[in-house]
Amino acid sequence: MEHDIQKVRNIGISAHIDSGKTTLTERVLFYTKRIHTIHNVKGKDGIGATMDSMELEKERGITIASAATYCSWQGHEINIIDTPGHVDFTIEVERSLRVLDGAILVLCSVGGVQSQSITVDMQMKRYKIPCIAFINKCDRSGANPFRVIDQLEEKLGHNAIAMQIPIGIEADFIGIVDLVSMKAIYFDGDNGENVRIEDIPENLLAEAMEKREELIDAASMYSDELTEAILEEKEIAEDLIIDAVRKGTLTREMTPVFIGSAYKNKGVQPLLDAVVNFLPCPRDVQNEALDMEKDEAPVIMDSDPKKPVVALAFKLEDAQYGQLTYIRVYQGTLAKGSSVVNIRSGKKIKIGRLARMHADQMEDIEAIPAGYIGALFGIDCISGDTFIAPGLNLSMTSMFVPNPVISLAIAPKDNNARINMSKALGRFTKEDPTFRTYVDDETNDTIIEGMGELHLEIYVERMRREYSAEVTTGKPRVAYRETITRMAEFNYIHKKQTGGAGQYGRVAGYIEPVATEDFVFENKIAGGKIPSQFIASCEKGFRQCLGKGPKIGFPVTGIKIVINDGASHSVDSSEMAFQAAARGAFLEGYARAGAVIHEPIMKVVVETPAEFQGSVMGLLNQRRGMIISCQDEGTLCAIEAQVPLAEMFGFSTVLRSSTQGRAQFTMEFVKYKQAPQSIVEELIEQAAKEKKNAA
Amino acid sequence: MIKKDVILYNPLRLIGYETEDIIPEGGFGAVLARAGVGKTAFLVQIAISTLLRDKNVLHISLDNPVDKISLWYKEVFSHLVKQCKTDRLWESILPYRFIMTFKVEGFSVPKLEERLTDLTEQNIFSPHMLIIDGLPFDEPTRKSLPDLKALAKKHSMHVWFAVRIHRHEQQDTDGMPARFSKVSGLFDVAIQLKPEGKEIHVRSLKGSAKTVEHPALLLDPSTMMIKNSSL
Repeated sequence: MEHDIQKVRNIGISAHIDSGKTTLTERVLFYTKRIHTIHNVKGKDGIGATMDSMELEKERGITIASAATYCSWQGHEINIIDTPGHVDFTIEVERSLRVLDGAILVLCSVGGVQSQSITVDMQMKRYKIPCIAFINKCDRSGANPFRVIDQLEEKLGHNAIAMQIPIGIEADFIGIVDLVSMKAIYFDGDNGENVRIEDIPENLLAEAMEKREELIDAASMYSDELTEAILEEKEIAEDLIIDAVRKGTLTREMTPVFIGSAYKNKGVQPLLDAVVNFLPCPRDVQNEALDMEKDEAPVIMDSDPKKPVVALAFKLEDAQYGQLTYIRVYQGTLAKGSSVVNIRSGKKIKIGRLARMHADQMEDIEAIPAGYIGALFGIDCISGDTFIAPGLNLSMTSMFVPNPVISLAIAPKDNNARINMSKALGRFTKEDPTFRTYVDDETNDTIIEGMGELHLEIYVERMRREYSAEVTTGKPRVAYRETITRMAEFNYIHKKQTGGAGQYGRVAGYIEPVATEDFVFENKIAGGKIPSQFIASCEKGFRQCLGKGPKIGFPVTGIKIVINDGASHSVDSSEMAFQAAARGAFLEGYARAGAVIHEPIMKVVVETPAEFQGSVMGLLNQRRGMIISCQDEGTLCAIEAQVPLAEMFGFSTVLRSSTQGRAQFTMEFVKYKQAPQSIVEELIEQAAKEKKNAA
Repeated sequence: MIKKDVILYNPLRLIGYETEDIIPEGGFGAVLARAGVGKTAFLVQIAISTLLRDKNVLHISLDNPVDKISLWYKEVFSHLVKQCKTDRLWESILPYRFIMTFKVEGFSVPKLEERLTDLTEQNIFSPHMLIIDGLPFDEPTRKSLPDLKALAKKHSMHVWFAVRIHRHEQQDTDGMPARFSKVSGLFDVAIQLKPEGKEIHVRSLKGSAKTVEHPALLLDPSTMMIKNSSL
């Protein structure tokens, strides 16, 4: 393994579902000679694309877990993380972006910039990932790469510049014109592996000259040399343009755009050249860790392989030989036989086996130097853990993890399934921070929580397939919350005298709504009316009430409790007594504070052919949706609405059937909002029924 | 600050028209200005004053994406009620607003009618006011205006247009830009935003209020909000 960090590219391939990124990855692996035959997503040969290694992914034709793989091109080592396209798995995309230095944004030349592309682009902005765009499917009917370039500018605000123009379009798409070298490129052979370079066809020369002018004009913003060359009307060297575009790309001020059709084996090799030419090497990117000793002050990582090691575990997988941990080294070198510390647990770990991954095949290596991605075996850790050399006290920045919005009760079918289910849940919660599980105290049901219906469905399916855990599922449940709408006072005395030591405590104060936090407790007791040693017990008592709200039993959020008066007894007051008094006080105040139920509201964006616009709006309206906007894009239109999550169950099926399967939607959580009275009444009734059944 | 206060605070009232809608049902109003002078901001202020009265506004834009228009509403709204907590108030007006965007070349009166029917027949949204921003006032548009007028009458809508004028455009004797004057007969109200020095003046070209004694209005160039020139 060579260690020239200038020749390393850690890249992701991010895009809207179905824009062809897995197909593209497959071609990349083929041309870089990592694989020797091409399999397509949902291939007729029954094998499926190499990156979709999970059986389920092959069946559904989508990428769920992002497999990491590496390949080499022109002496450069390219590590690729294939990222899932569906918004339900966005944490995977976010996690991948965290460890990447650059990305290819794949867009469909027919569909253009779709809602998922906007989500993915926002994530790239958040992690400041430089990117190049690849407009795929130029062979499809309706393809128009220049319209997509316009959309990149209008919808995503990119300074998108065409680096190529197509030779023919739709069914006549046969090659591309490279605007830097001003040559026509064709792809011959059964799999497009033979690149043939020729002069630009006569009929495209004028257009190519014009687009090259635009490219040079845009690139000159980032290079004085190039500007000089233009002013002096010298011949402009290719290197000069490449350097300028690279500078613009690295600062995210420019997005070079490439075109092709991965499925028809066109335009992939020039895209690989672009990865090498325009995307950053690890040294070009500034990564920060947090110094735990200095109040999490940021520390800039040095990609020097001789420095003490800092590495981040960004993905876990269950492999034949135990847990496989994907890791990115940010500083120093992670060598076989060396010791590192897991900053979260403080445990010292000896590095056993190290590997370089190629989807589900692997290759043993001796060390992973800074800037590289690799995998560890048999290390007990969770996703997001930082490994450091002994003596350091750094942690890589924590990732933004949203709270789950949906839950589902699951029950194993038999004892065997019970054991396997527990193994599977242990694994999944380690792999995916947005997937959580717990056992309900009252019903004893195992509950799984996640970011959407499909998210949970996939995990239930994985339990069946990978762990042979047959489970039955309940109805998905929405994560409702309780909160209050007005201030209310309480003054509660807890007094018990039933033989033995008595219990006495009085707690008074008020409860009020607070918008910014889930729970705030403030002590305004003066003159020791509640002795200071019991204040913590009061807070504990109040907190105990938050898990199950008095109204229906949903968690209580957004409340502030202030205690300002109370009384104690020299003998009968105890921690227990004040906890009980606080619980009583909470119930007393809460009953007067205008309690309401809040439900999660999702932002739903449906992309549909314009002829179904009316019926899609009708569907959203029936689901208590508030339609915000409707964007007409010619043949397609995008409808944005805010819909309560509770109404979104089964929406994909209904949407498919009412649009002949031609519409698709994405959904993400936006906010909690007060549920209407009729829904609250239903929930109360349902809760009462469940209580009765449980009894 | 409650809704009523915001309505009272609304500087549009200073324009001094007799009714809050300024134009009658099925009527047309136009805001004329050069590019970048504040047509959209002005129309959004008219829209917000309508939303605050719990009346539905359908905002149609032909040159800006939905996100940009939403941002205009948020900006103008926050300027209007800057001194108070507005989250709840903002949430309360949102259900009355609907943004629709079209490509300029894809917009036509029959298409709009089809979309409106989709909305009204399913009881999704029935606009009280229609704002059309970005419509080029060229020959085909001028020809389609009578159809639009009929549509407005049918749905009892108050329709406002943003009309872009050009620096060197000729004016007729009433001071009306030549291209607009050909169709001005269809309009009940026309307001021009005219930059003079560092100020943007709000001038009534047509249908000015009967109560003449209203003060001259300006558009604050930093916020694009309407203000009284004496302030």
